[in-house]
Amino acid sequence: MLTLVLFNVTNGLILGMFYVLMALGVSLILNLSNVINFAHGNFLALGGYLTFVLEPYLGYWGALLAGPICVGIIGLIIERTAIRRVYDRDPVYSLLLTFGLAFIIQDLCRTIWGPNGLPLSIPNALNSPLSQQFFFITGYRIFLIAVVIVAVAALFGFLTYTRVGTRIRAGTFDIETVSALGINIGLLRSLNFAVGIFLAGLAGVLAGGQIGLNPNMGDDLLLPAFIAIIVGGVGSLTGTLVGGLVIGVASAVTSIWWPAGSEVIMYILMIVVLLVRPRGIMGEEGVMT
Amino acid sequence: MSETTIPAMADRTQQRNWLPLAAIWLVLITVPIWLPYVGGYNALASRVLVFGLAAMGLNLLLGFTGTMSFGHAAYFGLGAYGAGFVLRYWIHSTPLAMLAAILLGTAAGALFGALMAKRTGIYFAMLTIAFAQICYYVAYSWNSVTGGYDGLRGFQRAPLHFGPYIVNIRDNGVLFYYFVLAVFAICTGLMAMLLRSPLGRSFIAIRENPRRTRFLGIPVERHVWISFTISAFFTSVAGGLYALLNNFADPTALFYVISGNIVIMAVMGGMRSFWGPLIGAAVFVTLQDYISSMTVNWMSFIGMIFVAVVLFFPRGLLGFIGRRRRA
Amino acid sequence: MSLLEVRSVTKAFGSLVAVNDVSLSVAPGELRAIIGPNGAGKTTFFNLITGFFPPTSGHILLDGKDITEVAAVDRVGMGMARTFQITEIFPELTVRENIRVAVESQAGLRLRPWINRRQTAEVDDKIDEMLVATRLTEQADRLVGELSHGDQRSAEIAMALALKPRILLLDEPTAGMGEQETFQVAGLIRRLHKHTGYTIVLIEHDMRVVFNLADRIMVLTEGTLLAEGTPDEIAANPAVQAAYLGTAE
Repeated sequence: MLTLVLFNVTNGLILGMFYVLMALGVSLILNLSNVINFAHGNFLALGGYLTFVLEPYLGYWGALLAGPICVGIIGLIIERTAIRRVYDRDPVYSLLLTFGLAFIIQDLCRTIWGPNGLPLSIPNALNSPLSQQFFFITGYRIFLIAVVIVAVAALFGFLTYTRVGTRIRAGTFDIETVSALGINIGLLRSLNFAVGIFLAGLAGVLAGGQIGLNPNMGDDLLLPAFIAIIVGGVGSLTGTLVGGLVIGVASAVTSIWWPAGSEVIMYILMIVVLLVRPRGIMGEEGVMT
Repeated sequence: MSETTIPAMADRTQQRNWLPLAAIWLVLITVPIWLPYVGGYNALASRVLVFGLAAMGLNLLLGFTGTMSFGHAAYFGLGAYGAGFVLRYWIHSTPLAMLAAILLGTAAGALFGALMAKRTGIYFAMLTIAFAQICYYVAYSWNSVTGGYDGLRGFQRAPLHFGPYIVNIRDNGVLFYYFVLAVFAICTGLMAMLLRSPLGRSFIAIRENPRRTRFLGIPVERHVWISFTISAFFTSVAGGLYALLNNFADPTALFYVISGNIVIMAVMGGMRSFWGPLIGAAVFVTLQDYISSMTVNWMSFIGMIFVAVVLFFPRGLLGFIGRRRRA
Repeated sequence: MSLLEVRSVTKAFGSLVAVNDVSLSVAPGELRAIIGPNGAGKTTFFNLITGFFPPTSGHILLDGKDITEVAAVDRVGMGMARTFQITEIFPELTVRENIRVAVESQAGLRLRPWINRRQTAEVDDKIDEMLVATRLTEQADRLVGELSHGDQRSAEIAMALALKPRILLLDEPTAGMGEQETFQVAGLIRRLHKHTGYTIVLIEHDMRVVFNLADRIMVLTEGTLLAEGTPDEIAANPAVQAAYLGTAE
């Protein structure tokens, strides 16, 4: 019984880690650029595939970082050439644009790397279970959680202690004042977009080591990311973090006694939050409502 | 002075509108005659009308109330399932199937709309996506009722009975097309009436300036909710027709790809114009049909259509023409 | 009895107190001007009166009835109409359609998904009345967004009038206007006040307009009430003169 509980909780925690990485990226872009990035899950897949391509040359550890950086650069290029052109327009356009990009990137991955799953090899050291009884607690899973914690800490450190980071946070709060201060909002948004895509790429690498690579691998994470943002509170990055963890843990706990309900619980949580506290757990009054 | 200007004005708009309107209906009515010569088929024409109606329904919200929904697949798909439930489990009647489609889709629209009413802009859009996904998830998982992944199958649309006369829309594709066209005509008539009414004008006022509208004594959130519900109503009619057209209802009708498709049809045709979404649907559905039969990389092409519309034709086909006429 | 009474309202945004313990009493038929330097809290005060946001403390009474808790949209129905510092109109609709929205809202038709001929005719008559009152008949079928600044302001006032207000609140109606347009709008306000007897509260920068039109003037600085009185009293008030440092006429 204990084993079963732990098994489900571990699974939920791992899933929660992916929700967090994914949701933080979507949230970063949403907060500063007012764009819902429908293609975020596809950038995730692209990040995984790029790591797959780079791994023979750089080894796992090199590719672990190089893959997400490459997809971040691709994201930057797409932002500079296309997405920035819709910032000042009706939000319907940014949704349609990223929606179209999602199709294109997914088809690209499918055409280049095939529709079937590809394994992303991970170092043997990470692959072995830590004990016989808790076979599901592999070194890789602990590594994965550690990487996500480091990445999230680095993100919040970046936003709190660097000049660009504080500007991004200020822009989230009041874009007009920030641009009135003479800060280049366009550049800030580009960097911010690249950071968001980097996080998606990182999630892609980690997911690739866990379940392998396939062109649709990010699709199932997009909606949970939205829900994490809604539950946590739109406009608050800390809220997104909390929201991602909450729905991850809630899924895990639910799956102990109702395995099929792990997805339902997210939606129930969302509706409860909307009814009881419409601005979300950490959302501030009046932000983006 | 003003007494003479009003009729003169009305005359002018009537004259301007009469010709395109006649052309649209002439084209729609004669479809079964000319379609085979351009390589089309009746089911494709029916699909254009179905998605045209869905997109026009969405556009009441998007183009005329200035509120974005990226989750109208919910009301489209629920309409389809509503019709499917009646035909599959209850009674062999097309009118009752349509009624169930409307009830299910509109009730969901009213309910979800109420939960989102205080939100605006991108946050509202995100909630619409999430609610649509709930519906998709329910249809996907509730195997015993909805047929799960495979969808609801094993039913057929029923012939229509008018007293002693039977119109066999089940076996005759042309008759079914005319049935869809009749429903389409009723719906667009209702939409046109709505947009000329005080309620419809309040929607346009909200689109133009929500703050001004509020300070004219119009409760903006409530009117957005009404607009959302009406929009869901028309989209659910389209969904019901979709189930009749296919003789099945499956979860893809609720998938967010359908939401995106409906939005792109409205934008592509011109969301500021009444008939734009129909034109958009005609272009999009035909292209989709053609491209998916031509290449395995159809997703890239569809994606590029989205990107191209956003970057190069944001006003849509009719918006572009309208702009030039006004200038 | 006063038509509008504001009892020591305060509005704080965090630590910033934008309006501090300000009271106001407007008699029926009065034209009251509110002046003060930029950032004095004039528009915030207006927003409190019209229910744009709630006060931190204090009360607002219309006709003796406490409306502090009443939502902005419902205050319109109780006879409060306003215009904004930056003209708030429906730019892509014609002048006539702009006014039509207001008339239909006032007539209680706003939820009607259909309208019959008789009602349409009644609405049209009221629109024409507003067009005549604001001298916009010639521009009736042009898009408001294409009109001159002064005509746009007139259209906004026409919409406010269509609400059959008991009190009209105008936030800097001549803001950003040239000489001629200022005269046009000031003339309109004068007609509304003198001929039609509207009760008007007005925020205004242009001192010629204020001292020519207002029955009484209140002066705000830094969120507090500096002085209140007739134009002559205000002109002679040393505190006001000091506050304006000779910029006032």
